[in-house]
Amino acid sequence: MHRRTIPFLASVALALSACATPTPQQVAGPLTHIRLPLGYVPNIQFAPLYVALEKGYFADAGLEVEFDYSFETDAVSLVGANTLQFAVVSGEQVLLARAQGLPVVYVCAWYQEYPVGVASKVEQGIRTPADLKGKKIGLPGLFGANYIGLDALLFSAGLSEKDVTLDSIGFNQVAALAADQEDAVSIYTANEPVQLKAQGYELNEIRVADYVQLASNGLITNEATLGADPTLVRQITSVFLKGLTDTIEDPDEAYDISLKYVDELANADRATQMEILRRSMQLWRADVLGRSDPQAWQNMQNTLLKMGLLKEPLDLSKAFTNEFID
Amino acid sequence: MSDTPGVLPRAARRNQSLIGVASLIVGLLAWWLITRTTHLPAFILPSPRDVWLRFVAAVSDGSLAFHTGATLTEILLGLSLGVGLATIIGYAVAKSRALERMLSPYLVASQAIPLVAIAPLLVIWFGPGMFSKVLICAMIVFFPVLVNTIVGVRAVPPALHDLMRSLHARREQILLKLEVPASLPVFLGGLRIGATLSVIGAVVGELVGADQGLGFLINVGRGQYDTALVFVAVFVLIAVALCLYGIVAWLEARALIWQEWRKE
Repeated sequence: MHRRTIPFLASVALALSACATPTPQQVAGPLTHIRLPLGYVPNIQFAPLYVALEKGYFADAGLEVEFDYSFETDAVSLVGANTLQFAVVSGEQVLLARAQGLPVVYVCAWYQEYPVGVASKVEQGIRTPADLKGKKIGLPGLFGANYIGLDALLFSAGLSEKDVTLDSIGFNQVAALAADQEDAVSIYTANEPVQLKAQGYELNEIRVADYVQLASNGLITNEATLGADPTLVRQITSVFLKGLTDTIEDPDEAYDISLKYVDELANADRATQMEILRRSMQLWRADVLGRSDPQAWQNMQNTLLKMGLLKEPLDLSKAFTNEFID
Repeated sequence: MSDTPGVLPRAARRNQSLIGVASLIVGLLAWWLITRTTHLPAFILPSPRDVWLRFVAAVSDGSLAFHTGATLTEILLGLSLGVGLATIIGYAVAKSRALERMLSPYLVASQAIPLVAIAPLLVIWFGPGMFSKVLICAMIVFFPVLVNTIVGVRAVPPALHDLMRSLHARREQILLKLEVPASLPVFLGGLRIGATLSVIGAVVGELVGADQGLGFLINVGRGQYDTALVFVAVFVLIAVALCLYGIVAWLEARALIWQEWRKE
């Protein structure tokens, strides 16, 4: 480009920007720093957040976001203590935390369907939750979404943990199923089955979401932030939903953006990773993105009560809100 | 030999015990004061009272005894396996330079392995049952005991070997009458370290994937934001480590009664 054209174009751009009407979300002044724990390692499943960051939606809203890939439970504790203001966590964590006095509130539903399921090799003949009776099922441990989703699935068939053998195998579901150490494994439906199928295994999958609707992953904040800065909550929710919408509308673009944020994604098999993204998108879709289904929260509470993880029912109206979803 | 390190008059020993108790009380008071003044919520820092009440509840419902028993079993099996292998290999290496050259890359590498990283693999290879935890425990115990066995056996004065040979002592007599007693002080030093490390080994295995044990209890406490339960499990682990250390120290005192300074 010719040197003299640069000042000219800059002045035109300046003039145009001065004439343009600023959107309500454009904020002048220093950016508000937000550290956002996501509860898992960098992954294509976080594409909506990468898209929102890359397209400048956070910056437009006056936010400077820093993703944090630490443990989900630590994130909930930090938000509960108001050390952090936001985190992305699974629905059950909100109820478990509130039962211990952590004032966390779920403000935006990302996953509309619970992402957990049970996978088994086809020769096991496990097609419905009732088929799990008497089977040996591997799961990371007796905690977290894999455990709660599995129990919800068992309850849906009138079964309980006593009807199966649960093996705590750490996050080794793919290897354990491949090596026939387990009859079935509790998995994230968008992740492990794709990896197993990519390795040539034929699987049966039972999705929790096909049997019971449970409150799933979404954005949480705390009561202090809700009270003191509802505008901030609205801004981050809005930004997140824009990233989510863009990802659903153009997953290829979202994938390309994610390459910058997910280490080794460039070296991974694109077809497999795109399948993970496609499956994730199936769990995100809704008529109104971000809106929580009150019945899903009630179902989650019932499951936790039945498992003994909650001693008594909570006031669910304080656990989640749709106030920030337009 | 009243100036021998570690030998104190009875009154001084009593004073030292009192200092220990006083230090514990000061620590508890400081903890209590922090929780009182900072008003940190219990899920961030529970007070000593919260932890005590959780401890009582876990004892009452039997869960603490059950999980402590599971961890203790893993520790004792892992400790036995690790110490057994380390002693045999350590003795062989001490006696053979060729063997030392052959094995030392593996032995040093075994110490450099981050167990937290390979623990999930061990769970895949050996299953989620007790064996994988015992193995992790044995691996962490192995190195300090091995090194101290080698050092202990090699520290036996050559003159004593010559003396034994001049008395026509057989190989097993040299081992039992000379090498074992002479290397015992150093060996038991390694065992002290190994015994305390064994607790970490068992818990690492349980944190990766287990449905019983104190590591599992920590996972449950974290998963349910029951930080007091995490503290209870951690304190029990500390108590177990202290007990194991105390047992080895007691064994040391009994086995090494022949050391002159212990007689005083």
